[in-house]
Amino acid sequence: MITVEKLHFSYASAPVLQGVDLEVRRGEILGILGPNGCGKSTLLRLMRGVLTPDQGRVLWEKGEASRIARKEMARLAAVVPQSLTLPFPYPVREMVMMGRFAYQHGLTGTSSTDQRAVERALAVTDTLHLQGRPVTDLSGGELQRVLLARALAQETPVLLLDEATSHLDLDHRLEISELLVRLNREEQLTVVQVSHDLDLAAETSDRILLLRADGAAAAIGPPDQVLTAETLREVFRVDVKVEANPYTGAPRIYTVGRVGTWREASPKVHLICGGGSGGELLRRLHVAGCSVTAGPLNRGDSDQVLASALGLEIILEEPFCVMSQAALDSARSLCMSSDLLVVAPTFWGSGNLANLDLASEALEHGIPVLLVSPDPDQDYIQGQAWQKIEALCASGGQIVPDAEAALDFLKQTVD
Amino acid sequence: MSERKAGSWLPILSAAFVLVLLLSLWAGTLPLSFSELFAVLTGQASSPTHSAVVLKIRLPRVLLAALVGAALGASGGAFQAVLRNPLADPYILGVSGGAALGAVTAIAVGASSPLVLPFAAFAGALGALGLVYWVAQAHRGSPHTLILSGVMVGSLASALLLFLLWLTPSDPLRMAIFWLAGNLALADPAWLPWLALWSIAAFLLLWSQSRALDLFTQGEEVAADLGLDIGRARLMVFVAAGALTAAAVAQAGLVGFVGLTVPHVVRLIWGPVHRSLLPASALTGAVFLVAADALARTLLAPAEIPVGVVTALIGAPFFLYLLRKREGGR
Repeated sequence: MITVEKLHFSYASAPVLQGVDLEVRRGEILGILGPNGCGKSTLLRLMRGVLTPDQGRVLWEKGEASRIARKEMARLAAVVPQSLTLPFPYPVREMVMMGRFAYQHGLTGTSSTDQRAVERALAVTDTLHLQGRPVTDLSGGELQRVLLARALAQETPVLLLDEATSHLDLDHRLEISELLVRLNREEQLTVVQVSHDLDLAAETSDRILLLRADGAAAAIGPPDQVLTAETLREVFRVDVKVEANPYTGAPRIYTVGRVGTWREASPKVHLICGGGSGGELLRRLHVAGCSVTAGPLNRGDSDQVLASALGLEIILEEPFCVMSQAALDSARSLCMSSDLLVVAPTFWGSGNLANLDLASEALEHGIPVLLVSPDPDQDYIQGQAWQKIEALCASGGQIVPDAEAALDFLKQTVD
Repeated sequence: MSERKAGSWLPILSAAFVLVLLLSLWAGTLPLSFSELFAVLTGQASSPTHSAVVLKIRLPRVLLAALVGAALGASGGAFQAVLRNPLADPYILGVSGGAALGAVTAIAVGASSPLVLPFAAFAGALGALGLVYWVAQAHRGSPHTLILSGVMVGSLASALLLFLLWLTPSDPLRMAIFWLAGNLALADPAWLPWLALWSIAAFLLLWSQSRALDLFTQGEEVAADLGLDIGRARLMVFVAAGALTAAAVAQAGLVGFVGLTVPHVVRLIWGPVHRSLLPASALTGAVFLVAADALARTLLAPAEIPVGVVTALIGAPFFLYLLRKREGGR
């Protein structure tokens, strides 16, 4: 039905599609999946000839897509966009009637064929009751169904959906999927759907084209062959488990966690913090894929609460206590096995002063130490802490302004 | 929107037009009773002065106001659709300014015949439109860039216009006020049939693009997906709306805000479908400008206010209201 050959396309200098081959078969539902910016929507634009490829071509029976007249193309393929901003309050019926433009000429009125097509499109999309309402008054879901109705009113053999259901609630998303499947079965409507919903695409598509972030095809074929844990890990950089939906048999994707951004094993970072000073550091380091440990931290301290919520390994100390030797020893062994020790800009008192000794021990063992924006005003024991901090700096500890800088340091040294 | 309501614009606006026409023929420095007016209109006037004032002085002017108002109303509606911007208007977009510059340039080089003037104004209008569109293209989707570049092109045209008028020896001050403030007083009645012919042709071309205009409001990519040849349709709309603006400006100078206010009111009452919006805007524009001109002639009689001052006094606050409403709505 549509043949895509070795398609290349770039916006300005950024390539989005690199050598995509694809054959859309008559009467199939084809899902196009892939990370943001991989060129899914661009591929749809190239397929309907709105854009012209840099290399390669898109062939319809009537010729190359970009050479088919717009009116002719509007009778071959209808598009449902993701959403639309509407400056003027067209009544729903008039809006759907715009789908008949390709069949009308000049100022002649609408024909009875036009009216029937519009009625039917309104009816199957459950929007008949909205037909007199201005489109500017509709909810997001209602508007999306009206856009689908307009595309159906075009009565084309091919329907192109560009994330058309991502704004809809579960109910209407399923309903539209069911409708598409029915139109596909009963009227051999060919559907090409770009989607972010892997599960729904897996349920409804006969075949799936999975694009990589660089715009090359990662895989194409039936959902259970394309949506495998290995391919998804490669394409989305997420660890997933794929199981069959017990009710439909379609593959179902469960996310397990992010694949680290580190080439080798994820670096171990120990964080000395407390009183909320570690919050941003804990979160950023964890999200960046480091395996983060922290402590000793007092039970109930906001950094402790956050670290526990993130599931990190921490050394616990009872509240309002000077650190026990046992806690310090455990913290020391965590420190010594780390790739990096980070000292958060916490307030220093007699309770946590021993942490700074830990840091200097780590330095002696060749473990890099980063001090995140230390401040003499946060020393509450007459300069004792600041002395130690200055000593740390003198023997190789480095000062960095924030979590981002700490991550940069880590990327340069560890990775 | 029921079919009945959507179709009600023609009888209502026709009635309003006849009413405002009669009032405008009646109002003026020469006092006239309604029965005397009807006597003149039915050809049974006893006083030749009455006949002369109504038929030779007031009627051409009222018809001119109607044509200019209709041209501005329809072109404003078209600009708002094709540019997807409810704040668009030939005056704000600088198209009127370009047309005035074109017309005055023609006069300055000595070609002021009724056959040349509209073409010169037309060239100026298209030039300004092209410039504004080209600048705004760099920021696709930003309605404010369009308005700003329109205002700037309009200012540029005004400056060049003042410069030209300063260079032109004959009575420059009066001319300047005529072109810059909009005025129906100086128009030559002999040009009226030409103006009518030109405007009707341009309007029909524009009207033939009604469905294209409906599609343009959906955004250019969606319009293309629905089957519209964007480049060709946009050119047709620009040419037709530019020609309407040029016709209005060549005769009446810079009459602002008719093209802004009129389509808004029409859309509010009869909906945005251009098949009816364009003729309804033309009729409403005619009603509006005939009424505004009647006010301009009578408010400070025997002195006359430029009609552009009257329309700006009504239109500029309306523009501010729309601007405020749009910003608040986001």
